[in-house]
Amino acid sequence: MTRDGIALEADLLGKKYGGRARGWALRECDLALPAGRVCALVGPNGAGKSTLLALAAGLIRPTEGTIEAPARERLAYVAQDKPLHPRLTVADTLRMGRELNPGRWDDTVARRIVEGGGFSSDTLVRDLSGGQRTRVALALALGKRAELLLLDEPMADLDPLARHQLMGLLMADAAEHGTTVVMSSHILTELEGSCDHLVLLHGGKVRLEGPVDDLLAAHTLLTGPIGDLAPHTVVESRTTGRQLTALIRREGPVEGPWETSEPSLEDLLLAHLRTTEGASA
Amino acid sequence: MVQGIVVEYRIDRRSGVATYLQIVQQTKQALRMGLLEPGDRLPTAREVVEATAINPNTVLKAYRELEREGLVEARRGLGTFVRATLGTGPADSPLRGELADWARRARAEGLEREDVAALFTSVLKEHFEGDDA
Amino acid sequence: MSTLALKGPYWVTLRQYRRTLWLAVAAVAASLAVIGGLRIWDAQTPDRHLVGGGLVPADENRGYETLRLAVESGSAYLLLVPLLVGVFVAGPLVAREFESGTYKLSLTQSVSPAAWLRAKLVSTTAVAFLTLLALMGVFRIGWSRVSDTYYLTWADRGPYEATGIVLFAYVLAAVAVGALVGQLIRRTLVAMAATGLVMGLVLLVMGSFRWSILSVKTITAPAGPTLWTPENGLVMDSGLLTASGARFDQLICWEEAARTPGTDVTEGLWGKVEAQCQARHGATTQYVDYHPESHFWPTQLIESGILLALAAVAAYAAFRVLRARHR
Repeated sequence: MTRDGIALEADLLGKKYGGRARGWALRECDLALPAGRVCALVGPNGAGKSTLLALAAGLIRPTEGTIEAPARERLAYVAQDKPLHPRLTVADTLRMGRELNPGRWDDTVARRIVEGGGFSSDTLVRDLSGGQRTRVALALALGKRAELLLLDEPMADLDPLARHQLMGLLMADAAEHGTTVVMSSHILTELEGSCDHLVLLHGGKVRLEGPVDDLLAAHTLLTGPIGDLAPHTVVESRTTGRQLTALIRREGPVEGPWETSEPSLEDLLLAHLRTTEGASA
Repeated sequence: MVQGIVVEYRIDRRSGVATYLQIVQQTKQALRMGLLEPGDRLPTAREVVEATAINPNTVLKAYRELEREGLVEARRGLGTFVRATLGTGPADSPLRGELADWARRARAEGLEREDVAALFTSVLKEHFEGDDA
Repeated sequence: MSTLALKGPYWVTLRQYRRTLWLAVAAVAASLAVIGGLRIWDAQTPDRHLVGGGLVPADENRGYETLRLAVESGSAYLLLVPLLVGVFVAGPLVAREFESGTYKLSLTQSVSPAAWLRAKLVSTTAVAFLTLLALMGVFRIGWSRVSDTYYLTWADRGPYEATGIVLFAYVLAAVAVGALVGQLIRRTLVAMAATGLVMGLVLLVMGSFRWSILSVKTITAPAGPTLWTPENGLVMDSGLLTASGARFDQLICWEEAARTPGTDVTEGLWGKVEAQCQARHGATTQYVDYHPESHFWPTQLIESGILLALAAVAAYAAFRVLRARHR
């Protein structure tokens, strides 16, 4: 069970895969995702995004710590490789969704998503293109009427038109049912605009987490003469000649000779990624 | 009063303007142009996000902002409805006529288009300082 | 072959493996055609009357000979059923889900992982049992004509399994072992090979062990004329007894005969020397250890019991592994 209003909560969560050579895929991960949010799970390849989602889906067990997510019936998960049974037709795959989720299945929703793809429902899954597979996998997930949708790189195989359409359907589902969505991607622009919550993973650790608006409001991009930035936390700073460019997490109002502006989400992510890259090197 | 969806929002992600502000601005623009009239229903959050793929909370934030400004009102279970209209609206209003006269005079005195625009912006700034969007 | 009435994961399993299902139906149909056809061919030639009464198949009856051959190899094919079932469960049914990643889909639906695996195993077992029952029925059609002829007796490997109940126990063991191996080795082909190996070994070991389960019956008679085994028995051992009742090592007299000059050239000398030697040692009684035909069902039941225990242990382990790995 999860706390009231929290759809997904991790506490000192860690996962180590077998084999001596392989280390921790995820370590000391703390997060609490409020219900009804659309959360972007971003980070470079190998940051631990897929591991976190698989842990949330209950597909694997944590090595240490805990993760609290809704029960299996109330969450839906789409893995990165969009696994489907290759020898079933699209229609059979949807029927499978109904059979395996008795009492929850919404055939209208699932059918609508599949029908938008312009392929016959008699097509065998193995004859579908990557984008079409994604569509069927998303139809299975949305047809389940889950409270928490866990989508691993959902948009990677889609052309821009299908991406826009499916993201629209996803958002419409979230708007209508208050579904909590967690979507991973290593390309931020795929998710920007659709997400109101952000989790940045890097090297198996959570580097940044919170509502997008709060994160943006808490940071300031400033340029001006070199000087002491205390008491603010400097995320990243660069000096060029006599000019200083810095991204700070504010502690109180910024006073000084600097020109300030609100960073974009991309500024924020890049700064945090570069900093942790340097720290772990 | 018009049935169906009366406005469609176009979100430009590269504009640098926050998404919710784009919705607020486009709604106001539609009010000014007379495309939206009192009693019209704004599209539901579901309709907007399905068409634009933006976050539902962004739409709700924009609608709250419009409600705060007294332009729309949310009726539980029914939707969000336009309450007031904005600006001078119709093309034949007296203020528009005066502005048109002024523009004609400016042109006769040899002002370029850019000069007129700069003048207009500076007057706007002087008289509407502090107002948002 | 309607799957309409099936629900949930059972529907999914049978839908996924429709082709395998048809393959089983085709196998039954083909074997029925072969055995039935051969029975008809065999019936074309009338049996020969023996002088002392009774009937035997005519020497020129090629249909009978072919039927005998078919029954003999058919019983061997029946032995393959548990092997094939185990290989199928381990590979396509379980390991492939992990290899291809579809377990990520299957294990995140509303039905629990245990229900998912149970549905797979129960449907497979049901289909395998039905197929086996049909194949054994077909076997009986041929067996009823050729039984109790050379190499085709109740105790022979093949007919023993094909006319009893042990094959069902082997199928259960194969399903459970396949489920365990498929999860431990998440590679389709390797899991198939490993399960085939394990089940082949079980078949082999149990085949040699089964006649040690029940103790043999022994009959004795004075040495000399051939001692016929009663009760249509399976001979396990035969030899000579000394006066004290101890088993006599026949090698002693065989070696004496071999050492005696001339036994290799003079007709009847070998036997005479050996007989004299045996008389000298007081080995005047012969014995036969055998399993009477009445041991057939007790042996079947005990063997099945052992296999069911193996099946239970493997199935328990398979579900434990599943629970340990997934929520």
